[in-house]
Amino acid sequence: MIELKGVTRRFGEAVAVDNIDLTIETGEVCVLVGSSGCGKSTTLRMINRLLPRTSGQILVDGEDINKADPEALRLNMGYAIQSTGLFPHWTVARNIGVVPTLLKWPAQKRDERVTELLALLGLDPETDARKYPHQLSGGQAQRVGVARALAGDPNILLMDEPFGALDAITRESLQQEMLRIQRQLNKTTVFVTHDIDEALKLASRIAVMDQGRIIQHDTPEAILRRPASAFVENLIGKGDRGLKLLALRTVSGLMERHPEPRHPEPVTDSLNESDSLRIALSLMLWNNTEKLPVLDASGAEVGIVNREQLLKVGA
Amino acid sequence: MRLWLTPVIWIASLCALTALLPAMAPLFSWVEGGTDNLIYTRDSFYTLLQSHIWLVLASATMGTLVAVSAGIFVTRPAGRDFMPLVSQIASIGQTVPPVAVLALAVPAMGFGEKPTLFALVLYGLLPILRNTLAGLGGINPAVLDSAKGMGMSSVQVLFKVELPLAGRVILAGIRTSVTINIATAAIGSTIGARTLGDPVIAGLVNGNTAYVLQGAILIGFLALATDSLFEALERAWARVFSARAHKA
Amino acid sequence: MPSSTGLPNRVIPVLALAAFVLVWLLNLGVVQPNRIVAGTGYGLFDATGWFGAGTVSSLLLVVVVLATKPIRNRFWVLSFLLTAALMSLPLLLEVFALRKLPADSAYARIGIGAGFWCLAFFLALMLLETLSQLKASRRVQLSVVLLVAAGWWLCAAREGLSSLSLIREYANRADQFSQALTVHLSLSLGAVAISAVLAFGLALAMVRRERLRRPLLGLVSFMQTIPSLALFGLLIAPLGALSAAFPALQALGIRGIGWAPALLALIAYSLLPMVRNTYVALMEVPEAVVDAGRGMGMSERQVFLQVKLPVALPVIIEGVRITTIQAIGLTAVAALIGAGGFGTFIFQGLGQAAMDLVLLGALPTVCLALAADAILSALKFQETPR
Repeated sequence: MIELKGVTRRFGEAVAVDNIDLTIETGEVCVLVGSSGCGKSTTLRMINRLLPRTSGQILVDGEDINKADPEALRLNMGYAIQSTGLFPHWTVARNIGVVPTLLKWPAQKRDERVTELLALLGLDPETDARKYPHQLSGGQAQRVGVARALAGDPNILLMDEPFGALDAITRESLQQEMLRIQRQLNKTTVFVTHDIDEALKLASRIAVMDQGRIIQHDTPEAILRRPASAFVENLIGKGDRGLKLLALRTVSGLMERHPEPRHPEPVTDSLNESDSLRIALSLMLWNNTEKLPVLDASGAEVGIVNREQLLKVGA
Repeated sequence: MRLWLTPVIWIASLCALTALLPAMAPLFSWVEGGTDNLIYTRDSFYTLLQSHIWLVLASATMGTLVAVSAGIFVTRPAGRDFMPLVSQIASIGQTVPPVAVLALAVPAMGFGEKPTLFALVLYGLLPILRNTLAGLGGINPAVLDSAKGMGMSSVQVLFKVELPLAGRVILAGIRTSVTINIATAAIGSTIGARTLGDPVIAGLVNGNTAYVLQGAILIGFLALATDSLFEALERAWARVFSARAHKA
Repeated sequence: MPSSTGLPNRVIPVLALAAFVLVWLLNLGVVQPNRIVAGTGYGLFDATGWFGAGTVSSLLLVVVVLATKPIRNRFWVLSFLLTAALMSLPLLLEVFALRKLPADSAYARIGIGAGFWCLAFFLALMLLETLSQLKASRRVQLSVVLLVAAGWWLCAAREGLSSLSLIREYANRADQFSQALTVHLSLSLGAVAISAVLAFGLALAMVRRERLRRPLLGLVSFMQTIPSLALFGLLIAPLGALSAAFPALQALGIRGIGWAPALLALIAYSLLPMVRNTYVALMEVPEAVVDAGRGMGMSERQVFLQVKLPVALPVIIEGVRITTIQAIGLTAVAALIGAGGFGTFIFQGLGQAAMDLVLLGALPTVCLALAADAILSALKFQETPR
């Protein structure tokens, strides 16, 4: 658990972060969202003490972070940034292994960890491990950046717009990976972004920031349904709020489940259990149909989603 | 290793020439005429070469130590105040001709090897200093940020990230410095240092072209051999940081 | 960002302290009974008494106080103070001459000691730091340099400093000095001009024919690697043989020693920085700019003259700057093969162990190089699009 109490940061006269209180529960993904210069990165960088705070208190699991040695503190917090910051003179494997090395893990345990992480992030432990950062594509480099942040098995993950510089398709796929990894590892994560869609997709709770203050701190659904101010309303976009809400939920919660899985009929489009209701609606509109079958991972039909019900629950 | 072949050839020919020049009297009689005083004999070429190399090596070592530490100091938080002044000194200092530094060392320190060494160190550290500053300053800030964010201490950041990344630029600075110093050390003969410049100066004073040629040839070979050595070093450095496999 | 002008400056106190220690520790000046004999050294207090020592020490103290206290406009005050101090620094030597020079000896002279040079050097560094704290414009920097130069010039012209060894050496050789200046400038600038023309042609050839690039750059950097003394030496034999074979050449003054091998070697050295910068400058003109020029209907010639050349000019001037500084220094070395110039004084002085003659050669060489640097930097700055 991370607690920020009355934290303020000034740069000379300018106030970057203005007396914020924020509690991030263990295992949740807290996304700080706001336009550039709103203080979200500053807040993140105060948590691992890359920036000292002007006043206030930051506690990690009840301990004031200023009591700990800054290096020891950072070794227990994964850190991934937009421009990756991969060490250009080291191979991918050595880059990922940096925190385990700093933690003085035995070489064998470290190498196993590196291999495991490469596999977890969809990189090839054989060929990619020996590459240098300049030989990677943007998406691959960012995967390595995330792997490096996870390598020391930290309790906390700090991510500063890690997918900000990627093209839309690569970003989308990395967000999916991120969700999958988070389901698997359950790290307490603080994630900074200016992209509200990314925030809605990844967050268990979102903190909307503006001019150094937290305007609203709530779940994505609550933020969509009850924006605290015109600023938040503007940020989430009034027009497609309904669709964004649909995007938050998966079909598995809404479908009429068959008593037993059956063979799908090969005719129409179908959905996966993990697809969002937004996709379900889109496919129904496209196919002009009332219902769509839902398949599980093995390809068996496990239920049906019904348009009327979807529209009733949706907003 | 093909990389080291060229410097090895150069160094071998330098050694061979040093050993064989005294036996080439007939060749020089063609230039100078007559049969007397065809070969410079006040010191053996080997002694001169050794002393020349020693001067350059000592000044390069000292210059590198001073310049790199100064460069590191002014890029740390504690020394950042000195950064503008030091970088200005490094660039303005290089405007001063090396021969003037050599000449000005004499009123301060007298004649001999000491003022030569002093001038070589002083002048030679400027290009190294400038390149150290450029190398350390040219590192992507995101790399340093993430190094700190990973939990590296500032010493670890310096030795594991900053110096390896700046190394190639620093090495280029050392190369410039050594090139200049080989030339300046030769001129050091005029202030009493014993170097390969001796035969040239003696030849110019006595009007003996054979002496001049012998000194000039050896100085030229020394410079070219050193340069090819640095060329190979720089390539080796680049190779280390772009193809080395991860070692457990 | 906090403004640094309010914080105590740490650099100036360190420099002032170093200056203080050195000026008290080293000899400020030397009294020599004649030109060659080593003289007796005098420290700051001995040389200039309570008045001089007090002025110098209190100046350094005031500088430290000014640098550390948050006084408004303190850097302006500091720069004014330091400029004035540097300008009037030779007066210290005048006080020294007045106190210590034996009146009865016609050959007695005073020499400048290490303490004086250190004081001047550290005052200059403090001034440099002050000016960079003020973010002084080029014009301000230049006026400060000119002020200091004018101050020294005026001091040197005073009767009180006529016993200064350096000035005596100059007075004995006023004609030779102006001749040396002419020779030095014409040799180095001539070499720069010739190599500029050659280099421009070579760079253009390299731009047109890519495969010429490697051999040409290899050749010019090969020549750059050979030490100056060696290159001068290596040119003696062939040029000597040529002039022996063709008396016409001899009549032109082309011999194994003298200006001819010097000029050749200087040109050879100047080619690398010149060719490299010109080539890089022309190659690095952004493709988009050239395309835009072509797109608007310019001919290739117009594109070159009106787009490429102006854009490349600052980098080309930078090449000229490096080359000129280098040529001025190498011309001094060329005195060894009888080319003349300020190097003559340096090597004569070294031969006679007459240190002030060495200074008379070395100081103008340094000044020429610094002046060339200042002028060409200003020119480059002016041509750089902002």
